[in-house]
Amino acid sequence: MAQLYFLHALGASAREWDEVITGLGDLGDCVALDLPGFGDSADADLDVVGLVDWFAAQVSARERQSWAVIGHSMGGKIATLAAARARDGDPDFAGLAAVVLLAASPPAPEPMAEERRADMIGWFADGRIGADEAASFVDANTAHRLPEPLRAQAIADVERSGRRAWTGWLERDSREDWQAAAGTLSVPALIVVGGEDGDLGEDAQRRLNLPHYRDARVEVVAGAAHLLPYEQPAAVAALIRDHVTPAFARALPAPFLALLASDRVSRRTRAVMTERHAAPPAGKMLSSQQRAVLAALVETVLPGAADPVDLAARIDAMLSSGVGDGWRSADLPADAEAWASGLDTLDRLADGFAERTPADRDQFLRVIDDGSCRPDGAASDTGQMRLWFAEARAEIARQWMALPATMARIGYDGFAVGGDGPHKQGYRLTAADTIEDWQRLEARA
Amino acid sequence: MSAAADTADVVIVGSGAGGAPLAARLAEAGVSVVVLEAGRAFRPDDHVADELAADIYWMEERLSGGADPTAFGANNSGMGVGGSTLHWGAFCPRPDARDLRLRSESGQGEDWPIAHDELIGYVDAVERFIGVSGPARYPWDAGRRYELPPVARNAPADAMARGCAALGIAATDAPAALVSRDRAQPHWGERQACINCGTCHQGCRTAAKATTDTSWLPLAVAHGAEVRAECRVVDIERGGSGRVSGVVYVRRGERRRLACRALFLCAGGVETPRLLLNLDLANSSGQVGRNFMAHVATQVWGRFDADMRMNRGYPSSLITEDMMRAADADHAGGYLIQSLGVMPVTLATNLARGTGLWGQALVDLLDDYNRLGGIGINGDCLPSDDNRLTLADETDAYGLRKARIDFSYGPNERAIDAHARKTMTAIWEAAGARDIFAVDRSAHTIGTCRMGSDGDRAVVDADGRSFDIDNLFICDNSVFPSALAANPALTIMALSLRTADRLLATRG
Repeated sequence: MAQLYFLHALGASAREWDEVITGLGDLGDCVALDLPGFGDSADADLDVVGLVDWFAAQVSARERQSWAVIGHSMGGKIATLAAARARDGDPDFAGLAAVVLLAASPPAPEPMAEERRADMIGWFADGRIGADEAASFVDANTAHRLPEPLRAQAIADVERSGRRAWTGWLERDSREDWQAAAGTLSVPALIVVGGEDGDLGEDAQRRLNLPHYRDARVEVVAGAAHLLPYEQPAAVAALIRDHVTPAFARALPAPFLALLASDRVSRRTRAVMTERHAAPPAGKMLSSQQRAVLAALVETVLPGAADPVDLAARIDAMLSSGVGDGWRSADLPADAEAWASGLDTLDRLADGFAERTPADRDQFLRVIDDGSCRPDGAASDTGQMRLWFAEARAEIARQWMALPATMARIGYDGFAVGGDGPHKQGYRLTAADTIEDWQRLEARA
Repeated sequence: MSAAADTADVVIVGSGAGGAPLAARLAEAGVSVVVLEAGRAFRPDDHVADELAADIYWMEERLSGGADPTAFGANNSGMGVGGSTLHWGAFCPRPDARDLRLRSESGQGEDWPIAHDELIGYVDAVERFIGVSGPARYPWDAGRRYELPPVARNAPADAMARGCAALGIAATDAPAALVSRDRAQPHWGERQACINCGTCHQGCRTAAKATTDTSWLPLAVAHGAEVRAECRVVDIERGGSGRVSGVVYVRRGERRRLACRALFLCAGGVETPRLLLNLDLANSSGQVGRNFMAHVATQVWGRFDADMRMNRGYPSSLITEDMMRAADADHAGGYLIQSLGVMPVTLATNLARGTGLWGQALVDLLDDYNRLGGIGINGDCLPSDDNRLTLADETDAYGLRKARIDFSYGPNERAIDAHARKTMTAIWEAAGARDIFAVDRSAHTIGTCRMGSDGDRAVVDADGRSFDIDNLFICDNSVFPSALAANPALTIMALSLRTADRLLATRG
């Protein structure tokens, strides 16, 4: 069962997620954590690296599944930096499928008025946060006064915050600048913001969190300020469900993920496979009509095997990047032009290729392949169509076979032949009908 | 341009099989050597077990024409310190004596201007230095010995052994330029024994496979040579006499000049002639770019009932040389057969392009990856006037015109292809394969600056020296007068040592 990790805000605890988790039902195995120094955990003085390391230990201690992280405020900074480590091939974070940020602290220094920071640090001057200080903190961060007993719970959590954890975050961690390490992330992200939040409101989210995610959208929740899980648990749960469900649906199988996370795989290999499993970046070479024809072509070349829209987007991205496969037919123009002309001509020959039945599409391709198509007046001639279709078949097959999901489908484990240790593992057995224990993926789950 | 005087006795362009051995031998003799490599430097650990992410290939675009266009990109030239040896298959049969005298034997092709015995002396030196694993007894050369025992056979190798045995064809463990036991490499360190990971073409992560960056180049550097990575040579300067006076290269956007007394082009069968044609140098014969050859590399595939998982193990672990001169041959020359372990992306790309399959049949085939097995050939290719490298009108990022390579099989290549299909299909049937099919393929970039004794018919002499410019040398597969059936890298390294010795001998 897929896992959802919940990372709470400063001064909160795992309890802040109770109603959200109730609203998620059987979406996955929900793991709400107490950050070190909060809730029931012992006080600790961890910098940002320490917090992400702590989270890594939490994830890697559990059986490897596809997982999502939901980070609220302070927890959001940890979530984004965990996603960055997953991108970079950190085995502890392998399998991350989706990120949800709620009023999240960004990788950049968190915008915070210095007076307010000093005030909040000052609350510990007398040894502990007082009840009135905690109440003012909770009330200042909610759009409307929370109903009881939630308000009392939220106040009590603030009061029991560890001094070192509280001041460590305010004095140091929230100021640490991790923008470069966060870079650009491909994991799908949902950025949720309270309509009445202050420093971490919509503007800050668009400015400081959104640029780190290339596949992200921002959702503003009305009737909430900063304490979203308390203020609008049903709305938050619905947003999480909508975002995470499709991500889990395309997740790699758990045994495959366990192998990917193992020390048989190098960080670099894990990183490239993680990146490739994510949705491709938006291409810009093909028109929407060309993209639709390409998707139909993918569906005809690899029926039922490839996700046509996804693969078409990958080819568009490849064409947009200008990085091809090192050669092309001398009788075809440059790749981007050849694909555009080929798709246009195919569409014209079929008078709407995408709208044709699979059998009709197949027949059009047959005519192109045997060199008998007559694309009079079209961008590509008969010979070019034949060459381009061969190129298109090869590229579609190449992109599809390289997907980690395809490797899982065909039972390929050749990526797991050597980690980063001084001695690589390789294969001990190479003869037919022999298999090593680690290769028995079906038995690992 | 750099203001400081930058100079070397010898500048070598390219750090692969052609450039690296001679860099080592010249440096050992006290010559000051600078090797310029277009790609970057890697540690073995940097390589990645992923076909799309592997970044050791020459991926700049080439145009391929003719009736049998050959594929480039990941299929041929390499980029990086180590050149193509970074991704080569390490399959290293020796050049056959008959192939070097093909014209004398058959009236077709060309003879080499170098005696086989002399070449084999250098082959032997190369093998001893890089470490080759092979069988205790080589059926086609009784006296041959390999330093290291063979690496493990994989499932396609076992199938091929079975099929060959049933047909009375001799087959044995392939000579492979990788170490089957841990082995100390002078001036580099310990190369770990092959772990059967199967990713030779993505870059060897244990240094078991012989690459020049873990063998010849450390030797060269230990003797004072300098290897400069990420240096793209874009111009060759000449003095008043017409002799080469230096090269101009671009490193991270900056143009630099390096003076030299002699220049060696070792950039491979495409980039070496492309540079000469772009600069209009050393081509009074009109032979630069001509006689491009690619090995006939037909493959035969089939499904097995057994779980093959052919990505495991050294990919080409079995060989037969029985078809080097087949009794029923209707062609000049011959071919080697090897078992194949092909990674999924390469296989999918080749099958989608080469079989003409799509739809459910293609999906079913690719889904069956773990049950597929293949064998393939490396067949001789005759030089032909019709096959040549020319310059396209399009230019690259450095303003140099791209290469266009036109390649078509002639009657002899077609005959080899047909003979091989028949032979391999029979072997695969005998091995128990079902649904057998063949895939057209050619491999390696050979010829284009051939060596010979006549300056009207060749670009360089037998010592690799240009007939036009006496301090310009070429040493890579572009100087091959004929393709030879053997995979080229071992022969290129042997030629490289010989070229160095010839230069040293004439130095006085």
